[in-house]
Amino acid sequence: MLKVFVVVLLLNLSSVSVATEKAPEVQIAEQFIELHTGPAVGYPVFYVAEKGEWVEVLKRKTTWFKVRTRKGQEGWVKQQSLALTLNSQAQPVRFFDGSFENFQERDFELGAMGGVLESVSSVSVFGTWVMTENIAAELSFTQALGDFSENQLLFASLTHTTFPEWKISPYIRLGAGQIRTKPRANLVQGGDETRTNDLVGAGIGVRYYLARNFVVKVEYQSLLALTERDENEELEQWKLGFAVFF
Amino acid sequence: METWVRGLFLIGMFGLISPAISAQEQSEPTTKSVIEPDLERRDINESEIDSEDFEVGLFVGVISIEDFSSDTVVGARLAYHINEDFFVEATYGQAEAGLTSFEILSGGSPFLTEEEREYRYYNLGIGYNLNGEVFLTRDLVFNSATYFTLGAGSTEFGGDDRFTLSLGAGYRLLLTDYFALHFDVRDHIFNSEIIGEEKSTHNIEYGIGATFFF
Repeated sequence: MLKVFVVVLLLNLSSVSVATEKAPEVQIAEQFIELHTGPAVGYPVFYVAEKGEWVEVLKRKTTWFKVRTRKGQEGWVKQQSLALTLNSQAQPVRFFDGSFENFQERDFELGAMGGVLESVSSVSVFGTWVMTENIAAELSFTQALGDFSENQLLFASLTHTTFPEWKISPYIRLGAGQIRTKPRANLVQGGDETRTNDLVGAGIGVRYYLARNFVVKVEYQSLLALTERDENEELEQWKLGFAVFF
Repeated sequence: METWVRGLFLIGMFGLISPAISAQEQSEPTTKSVIEPDLERRDINESEIDSEDFEVGLFVGVISIEDFSSDTVVGARLAYHINEDFFVEATYGQAEAGLTSFEILSGGSPFLTEEEREYRYYNLGIGYNLNGEVFLTRDLVFNSATYFTLGAGSTEFGGDDRFTLSLGAGYRLLLTDYFALHFDVRDHIFNSEIIGEEKSTHNIEYGIGATFFF
């Protein structure tokens, strides 16, 4: 995420300073490529650029690239077509396309999950730094809103994915964090106050590479809130969610 | 007999000429490359290409808070476009609830304090685009998308946070590649017991917004 922002920032700066510089160019190697009026497959093809023609690549939106031909025609080309073009050394052009190969080389993941924490609906967001192909560090924030209390969980954890080369792959998680429990306003007369406890936990989950740039995850977590009372509080959590990767 | 000889002769001639025709066709591209200008080209580098997959913007509208009249809502939205069809988004909005009909008619003490009337929500969701085009005039054409969203989050209202489901539909009009206008309708559903018994409330919001892609 940070990397993306930095890149975006640099791009914005560079576009100001080198506005006159020419956009990068590629040469069409197939018989032709089709230019659409918009960045989606449903937009009509309005122009066809021929083999051998050089086109400038202006920008991208998801898997679509905006190009300008020599005759000044601007249109959107899909990534698969641009992958069939050549650079000035007559080498094929390659891009990050969110494929499973790219997924295995990812650095960061960002995602959100919905779930149930002790029969209470919960929402989580998380960010993951993929350190090696097996090990990743994750920070997540969960909010679980029940009839009696509001719980906020901040949880730092490490995951181990034993078979990263599988599209459906199991992983385990170990982590620690804090849980903050705030009683609902209509129960304040009960005398309970907001309390914060340390939390340790373990989880087991499965991730599935579903589509371009898109991963689905399902996970079960067993958490232990270290309370100041006689007994610690055990919590169970089920989560289902998605992640995008960079 | 004579026509038979002539026929044979023609077939022979055609056999000689046709390879010559195809040879001529093949030699054409080589003559083209001779006039190829010698230019210095910038090679493509993925990180240098400006990608516009993120969308950030503000919106303003009206939200009808169930039992608490309607009020102006303002908020911000951040979306990431995964592919041409799907996007994920995070939304934050805030409004201030008015008085219930009962509070107005009875003139009695209010149900909620001023602070409890603050209505704030956040929402994480996924959206699906139906891409399209709008033809304003023959030459003035804008890309657009009708989209549907489904999300979950939290609403802070009446002194509590409540788990909230959000259903929505919207229309995005792209005035340029990177600037869009939005028209949105959303229904925020959460359980509330502020007016006595617990019930599920529908809080319908509609508004306009402007976003930038970066």
